[in-house]
Amino acid sequence: MSQLSATDSAGFPSLTATKRGFPFTGDQLLALAARGAGAVVLLMLLSLLTVLIHATWPAIKTYGTQFVTTSEWRPNELQVPKRNDAGKIVFDEDGEMVQTTLPAKFGALAVIWGTAVSSVIALVIAVPLALGAALFLIRIAPGKLRGPVSFLIEFLAAVPSIAYGIWGLFVLVPLLQKYIEPSILSIASHVPVVGERFHHFLGGDTGLSGRDMLCGGLLLGIMILPIITAVSRDVLAAVPVQQIEGTLALGATWWQSARQMLGYAKAGLFGAVMLGLARAAGETMAVTMVIGNNNQIALSPLKPAQTMSSLLANEFGNPESDLHRSALIAVALILLVMSLSFNVVARYLVIGRGPRRAS
Amino acid sequence: MFRTLKKWILSLALMGSSTSVRTLTALMLCGATVAVADVRLQGAGATFPNPLYQKWVTVYQAEHPEVKIDYQSIGSGGGVKAITDKTVDFAGSDAPLNKKQIEALGGKAVHIPATAGAVVLAYNLPGVSDLKLTGEVIADIYAGKITKWNDAKIAGLNAGAALPDIGITPAYRTDGSGTSYVFTNYLGTQSESFKETVGQGSQVKWPVGTGGKGNDGVAAAVSSTPGSIGYVELNYATANKISFALVQNKAGKFIKASPETVSAAGAGAAEGMKPEKLAVGIWNQAGDDAYPISAFTYLIVYNDLSNIKDANKAGALAKFLAWAVSPDGGQKLSMSMDYAPLAPAVADKALAAVHALTYNGQSVK
Repeated sequence: MSQLSATDSAGFPSLTATKRGFPFTGDQLLALAARGAGAVVLLMLLSLLTVLIHATWPAIKTYGTQFVTTSEWRPNELQVPKRNDAGKIVFDEDGEMVQTTLPAKFGALAVIWGTAVSSVIALVIAVPLALGAALFLIRIAPGKLRGPVSFLIEFLAAVPSIAYGIWGLFVLVPLLQKYIEPSILSIASHVPVVGERFHHFLGGDTGLSGRDMLCGGLLLGIMILPIITAVSRDVLAAVPVQQIEGTLALGATWWQSARQMLGYAKAGLFGAVMLGLARAAGETMAVTMVIGNNNQIALSPLKPAQTMSSLLANEFGNPESDLHRSALIAVALILLVMSLSFNVVARYLVIGRGPRRAS
Repeated sequence: MFRTLKKWILSLALMGSSTSVRTLTALMLCGATVAVADVRLQGAGATFPNPLYQKWVTVYQAEHPEVKIDYQSIGSGGGVKAITDKTVDFAGSDAPLNKKQIEALGGKAVHIPATAGAVVLAYNLPGVSDLKLTGEVIADIYAGKITKWNDAKIAGLNAGAALPDIGITPAYRTDGSGTSYVFTNYLGTQSESFKETVGQGSQVKWPVGTGGKGNDGVAAAVSSTPGSIGYVELNYATANKISFALVQNKAGKFIKASPETVSAAGAGAAEGMKPEKLAVGIWNQAGDDAYPISAFTYLIVYNDLSNIKDANKAGALAKFLAWAVSPDGGQKLSMSMDYAPLAPAVADKALAAVHALTYNGQSVK
């Protein structure tokens, strides 16, 4: 307490503490409360990491690096006939098959794959649209339009993800299942020579559910579009007017000038994309509703998949065993570290390395 | 003057010792719990029997105003964890406890069958009603071996039905559930290869299809996708008017699931029940009318109720359990709620198990 008594580090003049016998002045109380609040935020992240790492330990101990290099995710034990080294089934003296128990197996590669691929699909869809919209807002849109459109974009960014999920389930899924995916399949089967195989590879022989990697990626793309647009717009708005006027003065066409503008804001735009990526990777409810929830690595985007966050949403409520729970927490830890690093990189690129100052 | 007062209050609030906070909380709590019951029983677990349990609680509380019962449907797994941690007085579970879970309870768990349910196969095939399936065909569909609706194996069972040439999309539960437990155990009895590749459990790795969370997740997947098939609880299917398939039983008959056919499956299992182990699988039972994918759901308590603080409360729990399983008590309400009542032979054994409960070594009555 003693360091608080004279002046505090923020340089606020300290009132004498003895007035009417109260131990603290208002300033000191506020400083104390603010420090406490700051510490709590840090402590929360720290304790989150500690708890996650501690709870992850059984899974790490059991699987080591195999946890991220194998893809079989099977919470139940299997009773299978025992086989000898030659692959022959072993029989006991009475001619009965000898049974052996395969323990539960947890490998996270399938969900890491699911998160990566769905996020990439989302970026492929969202980035060109977002950059286009941002350029439109900054350079083309008449002043009257700029305000309302910007508002709408920010409004879209604030729509709860469950709303996107419901829209995805009732609009996007049937649309994909009934019209878009059958068309993709029929185009695929008309490709000369490899048509048949292509059709088979995409999953045309089994039923199309519409709830698959493509749907998950599409929905994610739509969901991250507003945030990338909003941040890109701010980044582009910060490009100095002289820069643009300079390019025009040198005789650049509109397109050349716009390209210069994008190039100038490169780092910030990349940061905007990273923010979008972080949101795509961490998005849970909406994806769970449309991605099909099958822990497999399928190369075809028309087959169901699972992301890290949808796996957690699906299975964390009732884990089969302590190891299952630990494995799920390990997935959460991977997700946390990934999102954290995306966010750190994005912040660094958008805001720069200098500390932000309160204005 | 006013500022001083404000300062006073602020410093009081911040400096105020935790005792004053506690007093305040205590005061607030007093207001909230005016109408307090003499005995309050806590239960948690399986979601499948939840509607029936809530009905039981309402009826029982009306008859016994001194008892208050809370049952939270948090899922079988959650219920088992809660009774292991002794945070509830009884748990509900669809799957009987496995060896490890019983060990965690100190080996003292009693399974009391409460009611029986069934898993049915909902399907989405416009123009096809009363689809007939065998266990083997279902296992092959879920293993990805049968992929088209007009497969010879399905067509052979459904002569005359216009089965379309479209792919089959199986739908399954992604959350740990008693429904999956019963379904996979049944399929394990029907197909050796299913048993070896998919296995049994509340959560398994499904090789094909799409997953949904809860009965509603699976039902949504089925209803939105022509060509899909999914397994849900009988109650859920009837409550939501979902059409489901007839399944061939051990006697070779195609049976439509109903409280009566499920009850019939339970009756066949009474013989296999031992006083020390009332948990038995009732899938694939013999009997002409038995629906093959049936199962009991259990109320789980410690065999000695000393985990409960006072004898009075333990007695109230035993009384409630006895009422729940007896044919004139809880079981009478089952049929009207579309649950399968325990067959008399099973109810007798369940009642005997309740009467065998003790409190600190003494019989509770």
